[in-house]
Amino acid sequence: MAGSLGQRGRRLAATSVGAPGAGRAGPEAQPGTALLDVSDLRVQFRSRGGIVNAVQGVSFTVEPGRTLAIIGESGSGKTVSAYAVLGLLPRTARVSGSIRFAGTELVGCSEKDLRNHRGRNAAMVFQNPERSLNPTMRIGTQITEAIRCHLPLGRAEGHERAVELLRMVRLPAPERRFYEYPHQLSGGMRQRVVIAIALACEPRLLIADEATTALDVTTQAQIMDLLLGLQAELGTALVMISHDLALAASYAEEVLVMYAGRVVERAAAADLFGSVRMPYTRALLNAIPRVELEPHVLLPVIGGRPPDLSTIGPGCSFAPRCPDAQQDCQQERPPLKQHEFGHWWACWHPCGRGDAQ
Amino acid sequence: MTATPTGADTAGADTTTGTAGSDALLEVRHLVQEFVLRDYGGVKGGVLQAVSDVSFDLHAGETLGIVGETGSGKSTLARSVIQAPPPKHGQVIFEGQDLVRLPHRAMKSVRRDLQMVFQDPFRSLDPKWTVSRIVTEPLIAYGIGSRAERRERVRSLLDLVGLDPASYGGRRPRELSGGQAQRVAIARALVLEPKLILCDEPVSSLDVLVQAQVLNLFEKLRADLGLSYLFIAHDLALVKQVSDRVAVMYLGKLCEIGPVRDIYREPLHPYTLALLNSIPNPDPSAARRETGSVISGELPSPLDPPSGCRFRTRCPRAEERCAAEAPQLRPLADGRLVACHFPLSQVATSKATAGQAAAGDDGG
Amino acid sequence: MAVPVADALSPAPPAGDIAAVGRLSHGRTLMRSLEVAVPAAVLALLLFFCFIWPLVYPVPKPVGGSILGSGLPLWSPGHIFGTDTVGNDIMSRILYGGRVSFEVAAAVQVIGLVVGGLLGTIAGYSGGPLEAVLMRVLDVFIAFPSLVLVLAIVDSLGQSELNVIWALSAFSIPAFARIARAATLRLRDQPFVVAARLSSAKTWRILFGHIVPNMMPQLLTFSLLGAGVTIILEGALDFLGYGIPDPAPSWGKMIAAGQTMLSVSPSLVIVPSIFLFVTVICLNLLGDGLRALWGVR
Repeated sequence: MAGSLGQRGRRLAATSVGAPGAGRAGPEAQPGTALLDVSDLRVQFRSRGGIVNAVQGVSFTVEPGRTLAIIGESGSGKTVSAYAVLGLLPRTARVSGSIRFAGTELVGCSEKDLRNHRGRNAAMVFQNPERSLNPTMRIGTQITEAIRCHLPLGRAEGHERAVELLRMVRLPAPERRFYEYPHQLSGGMRQRVVIAIALACEPRLLIADEATTALDVTTQAQIMDLLLGLQAELGTALVMISHDLALAASYAEEVLVMYAGRVVERAAAADLFGSVRMPYTRALLNAIPRVELEPHVLLPVIGGRPPDLSTIGPGCSFAPRCPDAQQDCQQERPPLKQHEFGHWWACWHPCGRGDAQ
Repeated sequence: MTATPTGADTAGADTTTGTAGSDALLEVRHLVQEFVLRDYGGVKGGVLQAVSDVSFDLHAGETLGIVGETGSGKSTLARSVIQAPPPKHGQVIFEGQDLVRLPHRAMKSVRRDLQMVFQDPFRSLDPKWTVSRIVTEPLIAYGIGSRAERRERVRSLLDLVGLDPASYGGRRPRELSGGQAQRVAIARALVLEPKLILCDEPVSSLDVLVQAQVLNLFEKLRADLGLSYLFIAHDLALVKQVSDRVAVMYLGKLCEIGPVRDIYREPLHPYTLALLNSIPNPDPSAARRETGSVISGELPSPLDPPSGCRFRTRCPRAEERCAAEAPQLRPLADGRLVACHFPLSQVATSKATAGQAAAGDDGG
Repeated sequence: MAVPVADALSPAPPAGDIAAVGRLSHGRTLMRSLEVAVPAAVLALLLFFCFIWPLVYPVPKPVGGSILGSGLPLWSPGHIFGTDTVGNDIMSRILYGGRVSFEVAAAVQVIGLVVGGLLGTIAGYSGGPLEAVLMRVLDVFIAFPSLVLVLAIVDSLGQSELNVIWALSAFSIPAFARIARAATLRLRDQPFVVAARLSSAKTWRILFGHIVPNMMPQLLTFSLLGAGVTIILEGALDFLGYGIPDPAPSWGKMIAAGQTMLSVSPSLVIVPSIFLFVTVICLNLLGDGLRALWGVR
């Protein structure tokens, strides 16, 4: 497993990845073909200030059963891309490009088709469990509602499946929890319920949008372990969206780094952190406080802010802030290319080998 | 126990002998903060003890980091120190005066030296005020300086925190980014030239790069102005970055407190170890810590905490004694206090204290 | 109807990427502005005609009409809305009657805003026994059915426009006080107010510098909606004969008077009703539009 010694490596050694769960309907992705194939995705919002280019040509693939992390700061376009995959963008958004899920094109689909696609094929877990759960509905009801939206199950069967789901997310006393309300649970437990709802119809893709950001670090570890375990069990592909590089390094197989609406680096986790190439990624890595560092050391950090998304200038969008920027960086935008095996980057002057720190 | 210039914890002397620390800027003694929960109709529903018998010292020029998760009481602790609202029991001795018993008028002069920076900069700044007005407000409240002098002071402060006064002075918070807004909040906290600043998760809501910038700002101000900080955060790595000493809290109680390097290198409380083990590491080839200390279970309800040691329901080392008797904070090694009946490497520390007379190698 | 999973889960667009991009497209902003601009324009027009028009154009007097000219239908020459049973020009009665409605509405809202707002803010900020006493007193007023209370006050004070204003204020003051108190309670614990208290700013500075400005959008939109209610109540008072005294015209009285002639000349009732309706609708729309524009909850 690409030399990763983190929690991921330990778990995957024990289980087999990609085995489809039992009783799943729908077209199976052919082995070798990607489950999700995003190609040149562009999203524009028309706002008071003009047109905002939130996503400017993003391409990536997700294989069945694999874990991808999308890293970026606010405004990088990571959440918008995820919303686009699920068809959750507001009507003010103009989406172009291609999003193929198991061969079916999602861009331009009707709302009805998108609704069938959501929950059945792909589901999302959001950051705030408080806002994802209806506080006036019992937990069990929320799960059965999700189940029966897509699967033709009767009430009793729906109930049974809901309890089974709660057990699968390791919620203690699932039969009792079925009848409880969200406010009776802690944050970590609520997030487990949200995961249970998301997995209700055994989607083949699960997107976790900062799903553990609002949780304590110990709870975060538990939830991430849970997600990995479920992934191995059900063969679900997982896309983690986060600003937390350390989290991505520990739990993801492949990492995408986004900046100003574009993918700027993409590699297997170990390669990305072991031999980082994009100056932006390096800046992110340098800016994280790490337990290994001595206290009171000033963190190496670059100044400036991400660019205004309503104007697309020539040249690399990171150039104004890049410590390694040169003439050609301002003039021509570097394309995202696979310069090394399994490692893409978009930079004219990437960090050399052994430069990563 | 020898006293060394940095990291010396005279609180050790305090809890055992009861005498006041020599140069402690802030002494918190047996602080208790409770909230009464009301059911429908205002009937008393239950009492939540958010902070439970917490004591520590903070010396001039040092940064004490307070780390804890949800329900640990760290934010409540900060609020109690600034008396907003005042704690139910205990003492908060700031520069020799007990703030809890201080009358209103005297408290006003104390507030000059004790300021706070909050977590969400957009909620800690009045959305309708301009940046200059926000930073000037404390000066007006204390009637300091003439108009011109105030304006000059605000200008130099905005410069100090890295905001150009000419372009930012007239802006409103919603025209600022998170990092910029937090700088304004820091400038406001500095305008009265305080001695101690309480920082309640000041960078948690900021992006990675901005967070690093603001942390560097905190460090720079500390070095330039000789400030002391009480720095509260849930991110262990972040706390290590800025602190001289660190205190770990769980469910309203202090688990351990000591010099920062020692705590991270060799945690003595099982909860501290569990926290350290839960941190995701960005370096895939980093050595893993010893396993067997991964935390399980859920946080108990703060309304009804476990008897004895509050951490015992999730502690892999818990035994009968832990349920029967609440562990007290006691000195274990040089400058370190731990509240645990079975601290980690107790054998090692007892050897160390025994061998200290001979070798004296256990530095800070 | 079953709610699709992701929709049941998805909260409002989160802060960050999407919100940072701005939620309103050009079309939406235009709609929002129209929601405010159109009712505002209609109201402005009404105000103009009621207050300014009679000063520049010789509108027939609203009282003292000749019985010979009574009962004229709509669109009669010289009397665009016709005349009533005693020969008064309906159009001018509408205009002068409208003055009453607008004056009363404005006065009642201003009194409510100032007095009620002040009481509510003080109650909310100080808490404790002061708050308890103030709110209980106001609760007594709210507990009465509004019309009954207003009728009682007018009855004891006597009929006049001013007394109608006092009577209706007894209703608007507690309403504003409640809103102000709720807003104050919410604002009082906001970090920026706590920060101000920590800077030892004086209480009145905090109240008028921080708390009041931040609740003004809410109070202003409420006052517009309240104005609509006030006009209706005033109309009801007049309809019942307890409002402004004869012979001054008002929309409510016109409706009351026209009841008996409903089958013969329905325009006597319909015309003032339409004006009443349009005014109140515009006030409501304006209030809602501003609320949406300012993001008041």
